[in-house]
Amino acid sequence: MDRVVTVVPEDGLHARPAAEFVETAGEYDADVQVGPVDGDPVDAASMLAVTSLGVASGDDVELVAEGEDAEAALDALEEVLSTPEAESAT
Amino acid sequence: MGTNETTTRTFDGTGVVPLAGVGTVIWYDPGAELELGEPPEAEDVDPSAERERFADARDSARTELERERDQIAERVGEEEAAVFDAHLQFVDDPQITDGVEDAIDDGFPAEHAVERAFEEPIERFEGMDGMMAERADDLRDVRDRLLRLLTGGDRVDLAALPEGSVLLADRLTPSDTAQLDPERVAGFATAEGGRTSHAAIFARSLGIPAVVGVGDDLRSIDAEASVLVDGTEGTVVVDPDEEQRERAAEGRAVEIREDAVTTADGEPVEVAANVGTLAELDGAVRQGADGIGLFRTEFLFLDREAPPDEDEQLEVYAEALDAFPDGRVVVRTLDIGGDKPIPYLDLPEEENPFLGERGIRRSLGPDRDLFETQLRALLRAGAVGEGTLSVMFPMIATVPELEAALDRVDAVADDLESEGVAYEKPELGLMIETPSAAFLAGELAERVDFLSIGTNDLTQYVMAADRQNDRDSVAGLHDPCEPGVLRAIERTVEAGHAGDAWVGMCGEMAGDPDLTALLVGLGLDELSLSAVTIPEVKATVAELETDDAEALADRATEATTRTTVSELVADTDTDT
Repeated sequence: MDRVVTVVPEDGLHARPAAEFVETAGEYDADVQVGPVDGDPVDAASMLAVTSLGVASGDDVELVAEGEDAEAALDALEEVLSTPEAESAT
Repeated sequence: MGTNETTTRTFDGTGVVPLAGVGTVIWYDPGAELELGEPPEAEDVDPSAERERFADARDSARTELERERDQIAERVGEEEAAVFDAHLQFVDDPQITDGVEDAIDDGFPAEHAVERAFEEPIERFEGMDGMMAERADDLRDVRDRLLRLLTGGDRVDLAALPEGSVLLADRLTPSDTAQLDPERVAGFATAEGGRTSHAAIFARSLGIPAVVGVGDDLRSIDAEASVLVDGTEGTVVVDPDEEQRERAAEGRAVEIREDAVTTADGEPVEVAANVGTLAELDGAVRQGADGIGLFRTEFLFLDREAPPDEDEQLEVYAEALDAFPDGRVVVRTLDIGGDKPIPYLDLPEEENPFLGERGIRRSLGPDRDLFETQLRALLRAGAVGEGTLSVMFPMIATVPELEAALDRVDAVADDLESEGVAYEKPELGLMIETPSAAFLAGELAERVDFLSIGTNDLTQYVMAADRQNDRDSVAGLHDPCEPGVLRAIERTVEAGHAGDAWVGMCGEMAGDPDLTALLVGLGLDELSLSAVTIPEVKATVAELETDDAEALADRATEATTRTTVSELVADTDTDT
């Protein structure tokens, strides 16, 4: 199952938003991948992989999830990507 | 002559903190200690034992990182501590752990496997620009930590450097800088790095003299050499002369006073901090600020796609207020114009943005909704946060502008009242930056609780000298000690007091300890400056006699030239 989401946080997928994204991806059993729309996806649970995508605020990304809780994982990750600042991190 | 061979050498870099320190060089070169030898033959390596060593090293790294994270959160701020969260995630990153484990299975010992697994990602990030290139530093930091834990390599214990050390390094990672103890370290200098590097930010917050970006020449300085790190000049001086040493010693000897100060004869002067981000709050508290005299709110609005909403702003303002439970926090409403790109605001391209639509002109015009949101957040924060909230408006030039802004505050208060939302009306004031506001200070003061003189803009507008223009004929005019500017200040203070308002100053002039006597003599009730100079200004205030300060101010405001003003200030300086 996959979903296209626009990245809202000002830092894009870097720094704190990336940290929260990776952490959230790791909380689910589903195998989640993230990447540019129609581009090569990477492991969403890898900070290294996620930050090296170079995703900026306003970019669209495609999330692909497989597994039992795939839908829940996508919902949670969409939430992270749609929140202007990673407010919950503090 | 000639018998006294001079050995003084000076290296230029970028100063990040206006503090100086002299000490003995300790070179910090963690990379050199982590030089790994050739790996042993693959058949001599037991992969399962190596995997275990790697797992142990990760455990220890996590423990260390969490400790350092908490330490930085406490000493510098949550925002800066976030970098350690990223490091924690790199420690457990599947790309990296898989890479290491694969290399172990190929017959490499854990430390060699770590080195190999990090090589490609570090190179990948190094090839990118800006923020991404900084990730390479983070990865190196994590790699070196794991290598140190695996090899039992002892690195220089940065938390326990001998007192009076000056640390020199190619670069300092956030973890390195976080451990430095401002009580022991006289300063540090790095070959790499810029003003916005983590090391620079931490140095500012911890109050450690620091010069970054010196370049490769830095390596020619020997360990054990005696050096001066001058953060004001941005220089590193080897074998500084007596005079340079003394000057550095003066700067360091100032003790931090947490209590409010008075002049020697008992006149209170509030000494507050200028702050532009939440991360700077802790530094302000640590340097003994009585409160915040200028809380710039632009940082909330820059580098993002949409403006911060009311709740996000509320949290930020409340955090600032909580940092000064017994003090005052003066928040300046959004001061933005055509010189700052903000994508979601339709900022006009103007020939001359500093004379254009900025500050209150925008808040009462195109940004009125934004202004309302900010005022709502501020009034609500006043009811939530601990300290006393004051709000001031930038760029006011006329009485009707001020009245319109005050009406907006009343309207917002009425709305909150009818919505049943808790709020508190703050103390209200304005910046005196335009010559018109200085002339109208009396009428403006009657309508508010306080005035705050922004000397950078006031000087620029009174002298008609663009502060970003560095031609001698223009930059030379940009001096708050010009008699024209001094008289505008004098007039503002007198008219402000007559109008029953307190009068503060939040420009760079307020942060120059040489001018403190003059400013106190002019009758300013509050001085707001960058946190690092607060101890020095407080110490200067405490030694002043009000009569002397007033006599100086009288003579200075009668002076016809800046040169005379400078001479008067310098004379008083040597008297004390």
